[in-house]
Amino acid sequence: MNSQQRQDTTLKDYTVSSARMEFDKFIVPTVTLFILALLFFFMLFPLWMILKLSFFKGGVLALDNFTLSHFKQYFTTAYTLRSLWHSLYISGFTTLIVTVLIFFFAYALTRTTIANKTFFKNIIMMPLVAPSIVQALALIYLFGRNGLITSHFFETDWNIYGATGIIVSEVLYCLPHAFVILFTTLSAVDIRLDEAAESLGASPFKVFTKITLPSAKYGIISAAALTFNLTITDFGNPVVIGGNYSVLATEIYAQVTNLYRFDLGATISIILLIPSLGAFMLNYYISRKSFSMISGAARPFIPPTRPLKKFLYSSFCYTVALSIILIFATVIIGSFVKTWPYDWSLTLEHYKFPSIGGYSALWTSLWISLIVGVVGSFVTLVAAYAMETRRPYLKQIVYFFSVMPAAIPGLVMGLGYILAFNKPYYWFYGTPWIVVINIVICNFTLGILSSITNLKNIDPSIEEASISLGGDTLSTFFKIIFPLSRVAFIQNFTYFFMRSMTTISAVIFLVSATVHLAAIEIIMLDNDGWTASANAMCTCIIAIVFVMLGLLHLFNKRVGNDAQNTSLINP
Amino acid sequence: MSKQLVLKNICKSFGSLIAVDDVNLTVEPGEFICFLGPSGCGKTTLLRIITGFEFQTSGDISYGERNLNNVIPQKRDFGIVFQSYALFPNMTVQENISFGLKMRKMPQNLIDERVDEMTDLMGLTDWKSHYPAQLSGGQQQRVALARAIAIKPNVLLLDEPLSALDAKIRIRLRAVIKRLQQDLGITMIYVTHDQEEALSMADRVVVMRNGQLRQIGSPWEIYKKPKTSFIAEFVGTSNFFDGQKKDGLVVCGEHSFVVSKIDTVSGNKVYLAIRPEDIEIVGTTIKAEDCEPSNIIEVKAELITFLGAVVDITVNLEGREMIVDIAQKEFAKKPLKEQETLHLYFPPDAFHIYSEFFKKLI
Repeated sequence: MNSQQRQDTTLKDYTVSSARMEFDKFIVPTVTLFILALLFFFMLFPLWMILKLSFFKGGVLALDNFTLSHFKQYFTTAYTLRSLWHSLYISGFTTLIVTVLIFFFAYALTRTTIANKTFFKNIIMMPLVAPSIVQALALIYLFGRNGLITSHFFETDWNIYGATGIIVSEVLYCLPHAFVILFTTLSAVDIRLDEAAESLGASPFKVFTKITLPSAKYGIISAAALTFNLTITDFGNPVVIGGNYSVLATEIYAQVTNLYRFDLGATISIILLIPSLGAFMLNYYISRKSFSMISGAARPFIPPTRPLKKFLYSSFCYTVALSIILIFATVIIGSFVKTWPYDWSLTLEHYKFPSIGGYSALWTSLWISLIVGVVGSFVTLVAAYAMETRRPYLKQIVYFFSVMPAAIPGLVMGLGYILAFNKPYYWFYGTPWIVVINIVICNFTLGILSSITNLKNIDPSIEEASISLGGDTLSTFFKIIFPLSRVAFIQNFTYFFMRSMTTISAVIFLVSATVHLAAIEIIMLDNDGWTASANAMCTCIIAIVFVMLGLLHLFNKRVGNDAQNTSLINP
Repeated sequence: MSKQLVLKNICKSFGSLIAVDDVNLTVEPGEFICFLGPSGCGKTTLLRIITGFEFQTSGDISYGERNLNNVIPQKRDFGIVFQSYALFPNMTVQENISFGLKMRKMPQNLIDERVDEMTDLMGLTDWKSHYPAQLSGGQQQRVALARAIAIKPNVLLLDEPLSALDAKIRIRLRAVIKRLQQDLGITMIYVTHDQEEALSMADRVVVMRNGQLRQIGSPWEIYKKPKTSFIAEFVGTSNFFDGQKKDGLVVCGEHSFVVSKIDTVSGNKVYLAIRPEDIEIVGTTIKAEDCEPSNIIEVKAELITFLGAVVDITVNLEGREMIVDIAQKEFAKKPLKEQETLHLYFPPDAFHIYSEFFKKLI
């Protein structure tokens, strides 16, 4: 009893500090407002500048200044108007091809018993590790004016420049994005539905058209919308392989950098924003719906596939996979040979980059990407936590603005950044920091969505337990929530790092005399005729991303093996 | 020293849904109180209002002299034990238990002392450096208890703490919790939907339904004198009759019963409830001459279920199923077969009588 009383007195001397709790009340609102301010200033403000410049004379907001003349000029000049038709044509075709190809590819991987599924899965994801320019570079080496296949093997004058080239490279670029969606959809839909239909006497064709296709319809539409969005906003591939075939993205760039017509650039940005926004909204709407289709009873068992069907699907998957490998192999081999396709002697000469001052751009890209990775994954985790916390402030608004960046083409955002921040008092303009901010904001959506998913997997009682024991927001976040989010944090880091290493369209307007980025240098090298060096730079980026993926994979494995992580998910 | 926890006119609504409806309750220092009710009755919401995770729509809550209406959970000094344990998976048992003490900026040597005391008390000494994932469910819940008690909470709140455990461990931990409460003299509020848990542990049971407190009393009172027909059914089980008052008797179909408490309700339409174990079998558990003749009914045994200590006899009375419990020892004296006729006796003082029924009779 004595020791009991002693404990009583000693313990009551220590209480949860009132001052700290008073301070704590302001943390979540402050963070929320900070995130909102960030999104307003670095997303809405640049967009607003674009809107202003396209609808008002000289970008000055006044009733008298309102004008549609920029739009009139765009739509009445055949030379510029064609970029719209080109974009729609390219995106439409690419969407059709990608959706069909990827549907059967995902079908083969989820519904048949073909061999080497892991291999196919890994190969199809490969385009994510390279800038969306690698396809165009490779296609030129294979089918260009001096292409290995066109001029060397077949000795024909036909070449791939223009619409065909853009479509083929966009198809190869969009495959992984569409694959993720359709693979998830087809894995989730209960395969027993097909079996039930078969047992009731439906022919395989009937089963496919009446059961399989309809049950995957949301996934198909979602994949198509995403492909359309990616294609119409892509800049890297069309600028390299398009030649004189202009699309909206390249037209914006040409207007701004060649003709200094910022107003027309802004106007075309608005025109580009409409279809890409439409595709994004469709995708957003559909992906919300498709979750309800996922059945808990879905099971992974697949009955053996008939030999002929298996052979056909296998051949198809190998064709797709080999095309992707061919792209990467061409670029990598092309960077090591003296003169493609005439002199195959090996050389490291293309890795010297004399015209751009050696490797500095690559190192800049690397450290910027490391910062983007850490800042991006941290900010999105904090924002998600502030949103999902017990007493959310302005949750809906923060959520709405957080998913918006995915709808905005990187090129448009980049142009907005010039218009908004090219003022002497924005010290960060022209420094690497604007690039960091731009990439973080452009990829905010996926980061925050995966952070939210991760936080939802943590039992809400764990946070309440911390609070009931006297934990304030900061202790709860740093001692509990953050350690429990390590795996998701690393995934997000990987995503931001990869995007930062490979993005072209978001930052092309932001590189300056002082800031050079590796992905942009590829275009510059290619433009100046250093095609092999462009390939070499591309290879460097791919190598860095691969090394980073390997390191993170090792780290993840180690973290995943820790005993305390086995119960990360709700009991 | 512990103080009174007082809830005054507590209401909580979520939009149009009223989750807690005008709750008044005083929890005495050192008392063990159980909130008992079916799921959705508002017991967890009421607990969350006491913890501060939800704020009441109206009403007052105070601890001793201190009004808690706007006090955040961190400053209430209430310990909470969660259904899902909610242990921090990234911390060892030791770190889990010391978390609350660290938040109070206690010096490390006192923390270590307190943690040792807690692990000794809960039989966790050998597990201090283990992570929660390496412990069994029962051990995890003991860590959760230790963590909540370590901060010397004013009140310990437990939200269905045992419902995720299997039956044997549940019964063992019940004893652990009860002993802790008695040894440390902590005020405890325990939420459960398991009537057995409530009856066996609590000093007072609070039965809740539709956000309201329906009855507060000792387990004995709740079981023996259920205030409403709902409680008669929810706590234990009861057989129900509906009938009319007539000439001092209750007429149910062809039968008329003598009911001791007939004058405690007004109105003609009444409902009778009787516990299965209060029904006697004439010639087995009671002699015919000790019976009020009008309360004897002849029935057929439809189903006989052997349950170990008791035997369940299901009979059909005017199309209504009725259960009679009889001690296995008594049953053995004069065993019955299914379809055999027997005479049941409904003692007049065993009937509970209500003017309302919680659901329509089927």
